Amino acid sequence: MDKEEITGELDLAQINAIVSEYSQHKWALIPLLQKIQSELGYIPPQSIPLIARSLGLFPSQVQGVISFYTQLYTQPRGRKIVRVCRGTACHVRGGKTILKLVKQHLGLEEGETSPDLEYTLETVACIGVCALAPNIVVGDHVHGHMNPKKAEQLFRNREGRG
Amino acid sequence: MQPITITLDGREVSGYPGMTILELAKESGIDIPTLCHDPQLTSVGACRVCLVEDERNGALLASCVAPIASGMVINTHSPRVMERRKTIVKLMLASHPDSCLVCDKGNRCQLRQIASDLGIGLVELQRIPQMASIEEVNPFLERDLSKCILCAKCIRACQELVVEGAIDYFQRGFTTIPATLNNLPLENSECTFCGTCVALCPTGALMEKDRTYGGTTKSMTETTCPFCGCGCSICLEIKDNQVVRVIPGKEDSVNHGALCVRGSYGCDFVNSPDRLTKPLVKRDNTFEEVSWEEALEQAATGFKRIKDKRGSDGLAVLGSSKCTNEDNYVLQRFARCVLGTNNIDNGSRLYNSATRTGLGYSIGFPCTTNYLGALGQSEIIIVIGANPDSSAPVVGYAIKRAVKYKSAKLVLIDPRQTKLSSFACLWLRPNVGTDVALLNTLAKVIVDEALLDEEYVARKTDDFEALTKALERYSLEYAEAITGVPAEDIRSVARLYGKATQPAIVYGTGITQQRGGTDSVRAIANLALLTGHIERGGIYALQRENNGQGACDMGVLPDFLPGYQNVADAQTRTKFQERWKVDLPADPGLSAMEMLERAKSGKINGLYIVGENPCLSFPHSGLITKALASLDFLVVQDMFLTETAKLANVVLPAASFAEKDGTFTNFEGRVNRVRKAIEPMGESLPDWEIVARLADKMGCPLPFSSLQDVMSEIEELVPSYEAYSDYERQDELAYGETGRTYGRQLLKGFARFSPIEYTPQAGERKSGYPFTLLTGTTLYHFGTGSRSSRSLRLKKFSPQSFVEIGETDARKLGVSHGDKVSVISRVSKLATSARIIDGLPEGTLFMPISFAEAPVNELFDIALDSETKAPLMKACSVKVEKIPLP
Repeated sequence: MDKEEITGELDLAQINAIVSEYSQHKWALIPLLQKIQSELGYIPPQSIPLIARSLGLFPSQVQGVISFYTQLYTQPRGRKIVRVCRGTACHVRGGKTILKLVKQHLGLEEGETSPDLEYTLETVACIGVCALAPNIVVGDHVHGHMNPKKAEQLFRNREGRG
Repeated sequence: MQPITITLDGREVSGYPGMTILELAKESGIDIPTLCHDPQLTSVGACRVCLVEDERNGALLASCVAPIASGMVINTHSPRVMERRKTIVKLMLASHPDSCLVCDKGNRCQLRQIASDLGIGLVELQRIPQMASIEEVNPFLERDLSKCILCAKCIRACQELVVEGAIDYFQRGFTTIPATLNNLPLENSECTFCGTCVALCPTGALMEKDRTYGGTTKSMTETTCPFCGCGCSICLEIKDNQVVRVIPGKEDSVNHGALCVRGSYGCDFVNSPDRLTKPLVKRDNTFEEVSWEEALEQAATGFKRIKDKRGSDGLAVLGSSKCTNEDNYVLQRFARCVLGTNNIDNGSRLYNSATRTGLGYSIGFPCTTNYLGALGQSEIIIVIGANPDSSAPVVGYAIKRAVKYKSAKLVLIDPRQTKLSSFACLWLRPNVGTDVALLNTLAKVIVDEALLDEEYVARKTDDFEALTKALERYSLEYAEAITGVPAEDIRSVARLYGKATQPAIVYGTGITQQRGGTDSVRAIANLALLTGHIERGGIYALQRENNGQGACDMGVLPDFLPGYQNVADAQTRTKFQERWKVDLPADPGLSAMEMLERAKSGKINGLYIVGENPCLSFPHSGLITKALASLDFLVVQDMFLTETAKLANVVLPAASFAEKDGTFTNFEGRVNRVRKAIEPMGESLPDWEIVARLADKMGCPLPFSSLQDVMSEIEELVPSYEAYSDYERQDELAYGETGRTYGRQLLKGFARFSPIEYTPQAGERKSGYPFTLLTGTTLYHFGTGSRSSRSLRLKKFSPQSFVEIGETDARKLGVSHGDKVSVISRVSKLATSARIIDGLPEGTLFMPISFAEAPVNELFDIALDSETKAPLMKACSVKVEKIPLP
């Protein structure tokens, strides 16, 4: 499945419903974008003209705001976000190798999402639990003291599907 | 307001609350460098070059956004400020390519100027290489974002001046760029290539492309754009007698630093190789170049022969709504004093006569009643039968600005979807030709719901009872049945308009060229008079061409002497006769279409056409061409060998707007100066001079030896042009006080209602011709295209004619985008290609008029409005057939 197919199935009615809740208030742009993202997982680029029209903004302005904030995405995201820590502590304890292995297991590069929308792979500068280094976060769950074997177990069901 | 006093570079100066430090410094004669600041745009403080220091607390402030506060002690050039300013500029230079040697921006680059002023030599910072430029295929402008300093002038110009919003910042930090939606090339975005951003860009990041003539500007001349009726001020940059570049002119004019694609990139027709450089005389069906002496001799002999044989009534003159006021004035005097006929008309007959007759009857003078700047104060704007985004772009910008930034509400009345549709709070789509019913119903709601200004009606207007009587049958239900517009919407519009304090109505050729256009104009005037809004928000009557207003003001009309003074009135005639020392013909002459009809029947034998191309601009061109061919003698005066000029016996080469002095009167009635920037091409001459020489040759010299002579006579004889040539005085007047918009008072202080009846158009859709074809302008061409098709970039961008077909109709016809189709009316047919769009009601087609290879006007039968004698050229019944591929 490529991206076009994903977005092709887009439910514009759902977006329209969200947009109409917030319409006519310029200040509502960021809450509206967050709401769309929480409902759909991302902000489909096709929704930008709809959002712009309802708030009396230009589409390019809405795009500008979305592209400014790293919290907002215009690509679909996986149900589980895998964040591999690249902080100093994780790095000296082999975080680089862990990242390489996770990439292999998921068949993804940094910032990519699996075609079945299960996983998105990201890296993170530090998650603040350096005592457990090296770390991986899957969804909201922190997996500490990572080693190649644990990484394999964590993503065993993904093997060969990437 | 209490003035605020601050210390600026050791001097005590005072300003008003809200003023920025930069503004006060400028007022006090202190120069602070800026890159991202422009007085037309909101300040954002993006570039930091304008920073200054507050001595009290050491704070460094961006002076363009920092308001003055009492007690401030500001240094604008202290060592600390200078050092910081240098660092900021060096940081910009560190990520700027060193391509200044070959950069076309050259010494116009503000970054380079500031770096030089600050004495920056070497930049010791590590260089940050920049990404390559974006490839653009449009012929107008090119973005090299490696030279972008992110000042956001382009973004603000697009959003605040042009209100297109095609670009904004995209991404953040080092990767930030100004980008279109989805970062597509400009030609795939909303961009209209107006060139406003290019004119504002401080560096070479946005540059004009495919210039016909390269090199560094040698001189600049402020003048007025020769295309639509807005009358934008433009500045011609000149080198070697060629137009190198056109940029927006002085700031306090109608366009406020913005232009459209035609003004910015369309003026290169001036240097077109097609320009006529010598007079031509036809011998044995081929043109021969001859001397002026010989050509004028021929022309004079030709006219004299007809005058002697057939009398003055055998002659007629067609003047131009593109030439200057002075050209037109001399021409009408030539017709009346030298040829001795009132058979004189001008090209604006085709699109302006409904306004002239309608507004002339209702409010006493035929012109827009307010100035464009006041549109920003209107809380309701009704646009009916106009697509200002292509026919009068600067008016379009003003409307969009009012909606976007002044919270005005826009009511759009147009069956077609236009750019304004998305700005409208209400979009009414009446059936074609039902405007009168709609307007009458609006008036009825206003009367019924007592939304009218009774005091105004009683004090200033006549015929109110007749109006209310005539309105009786226009119930909402009746209107809904006729116009197809929901009754609720009609009522809402009437209430919005009735209750507003300063609402405006804008109309264009969708009203004036339509059947019953004069009635519609009167119905619009009724609305504005009922509510008294005529003296507040007013009526904006758009003009298609640069000097349609002026040509009429100058009396290039069969029934009016200059200044709309009735030719049939003996007293008026006496006044002119005494001044001109000739006997004037008493009977009103023939209108443009009547001249051509009489030419065909042999009653008009000689015609003098100045700057018009009736073969394309008039309906049923086949017939027109025949009519012109049957003349004994035709003289055409033009810049190009147009379709009309090809039929002439003598062709006289005219100078372009860039090659002469004079004035144009824009749709507001504002008289704008036209200044000579280059020498006339070849032997071409300004139109008025040619006319004056021809008069000499005919043995009746006109007393004009210089342009000033002409202007003095206009000032003397044309009301509302008093002292118009005194530019210093004109410049002193505040904007809006020039021309006839002075004080927004009705010229004659009288107004009257016109009871108007809606008459259904019998058999409008003739059987076998199921579509209604609407015609109009496109942004990338102008008029019949005699100039815009000779502008290389406009031609390149929009080379081919097309017909717009709605999606549903296209499906039914089995036509897809780009297919060749025939458009067939009862009188003619033409081939063009199909463009499938949404936003056209079913059964309606649209075609632009500007393509010589598919002259749309050919499809129209000659049907004259009984009152204005103007041909109806807005809507016509057609059928469409797909042309199979060979």
